[in-house]
Amino acid sequence: MINLIMAAPDPIVLETDDRTPESALDSDEVRLTFEVHNLSIWYGDKRAIDSVTLNVPSNAVTSIIGPSGCGKSTFLRSLNRMHELVPGTRVDGSVLLLGENLYAPDVDPAIVRRRVGMVFQKSNPFPTMTIGENVTIGLKLNGVRDRKFLNERLEKSLRMAALWDEVKDDLHKAGTSLSGGQQQRLCIARALAVEPEVILMDEPCSALDPIATAKIEELIHELKKNYTIVIVTHNMQQAGRVSDYTAFFYLGRLIEFGPTSKIFSNPSDKQTEDYITGRFG
Amino acid sequence: MVTPKHILGNFDEALSSLRNNVLMMAGLAERTLDRAIRGLLQRDDNLCVTAIADDEEIDQLEKQIDKDGVDVLLRFQPVASDLRRVVAAMKLSPNVERIADQATNIARRARKLNKHAPLPEVDLIVPIQAHAMSMFKDSIDAFTREDVELGRAVVARDKDLDLMNKKAGRLLTDRMAEDPKQLRGYLNLIFISRCLERVGDHATNIAEDAVYAAAAEDIRHQTATVAT
Repeated sequence: MINLIMAAPDPIVLETDDRTPESALDSDEVRLTFEVHNLSIWYGDKRAIDSVTLNVPSNAVTSIIGPSGCGKSTFLRSLNRMHELVPGTRVDGSVLLLGENLYAPDVDPAIVRRRVGMVFQKSNPFPTMTIGENVTIGLKLNGVRDRKFLNERLEKSLRMAALWDEVKDDLHKAGTSLSGGQQQRLCIARALAVEPEVILMDEPCSALDPIATAKIEELIHELKKNYTIVIVTHNMQQAGRVSDYTAFFYLGRLIEFGPTSKIFSNPSDKQTEDYITGRFG
Repeated sequence: MVTPKHILGNFDEALSSLRNNVLMMAGLAERTLDRAIRGLLQRDDNLCVTAIADDEEIDQLEKQIDKDGVDVLLRFQPVASDLRRVVAAMKLSPNVERIADQATNIARRARKLNKHAPLPEVDLIVPIQAHAMSMFKDSIDAFTREDVELGRAVVARDKDLDLMNKKAGRLLTDRMAEDPKQLRGYLNLIFISRCLERVGDHATNIAEDAVYAAAAEDIRHQTATVAT
């Protein structure tokens, strides 16, 4: 079987070190997918992320919340170096993915983006491609030609994205013929097809109705059994429903990070409390 | 610390209305309990009747608080301290309602006692009533002022009330044996003492809810270690 992705190393066990209080997790046994240390990101002269240290636990959903312009999308994109597509960006600090520094000089950003998949706010299936082609395009671009393998991966990805039953007879139809919610799940299937280790989601439900949103949220719940998920959302209730951990960003800084139940019932920081209760600014 | 205004003005209004209804309900329950006890001590049937009649308004307020609480949850989906305040308001209002029920029971028994010659043992009720009432008032103050220490102190005082009730119960039982003709009267006083002991239990529940609302700490079902 063709495996495009290098075998994931053994999970890292967090040890007591010099973690800052806001990034520390309660248990020393929490496995980590990302270890972000003192990360700062500039767009030209503007510092979008300011000295963020944060550990992202494995096989869990971490949501990032904060007001517009607080740097949450930039932070999300820094986890697969997608922010580098904006000219004039500069990064300081380190991001370890399963122990490997994503910003080491010899790391190819394209490989990083294959290991860390992304789903965007607006569903973006390739308009000229069928449903099937949309899912398998990532594999084909990586040189996979084995039709049997492609078909297997197509079905597997669509099943994981909870879309197979709805489209199995229409795989030849255009991806854009699907509803908004289905298109978003198609994009998730496309991200899953290359078997990433992490899925990043940037407001994946903001353009969807409540039913489509519920389906995506159910899907997130299922996917976390096999993937680490980081999601940016403006919807506080959604963050409360889907995530195990929540990080609150403000003015590019990480203000508070902790279990979602703690953040939404008894946050430690007044700025977090003011934001989530709607008393901000 | 001044709490900044919510971005939705309606939310602050809804929360404030909920809180005001809790305070109004507590005020009415306090007045009912006071009337019931004065009806007993002053042998005044009118006060007892008024105390019994007051209960209806308190029952309605309990329903209103539940309705308003559900409405706030539905419309605003509050979180953190806001959520705790709403939950605490909805949890403590049944306790206030039951305190008013105990006041009604006291008033009913006082009317029965008032039909017979006065019993000097009625004085046993005075310190129990004072202790129960102060627990009730302080529990509501703890909720209103979000005073965690006051809430904890109320919980710790319940043991004393239990002891006072037990002591009064023993004394009155002895008197029943000594003077069987007044058996019904002593029995009514035992029940009144127990009603006040229950008031203390409800005040304890309210104080626990107040601590939860203020500090997100669940202090229920803990072995009391605080010195009384």
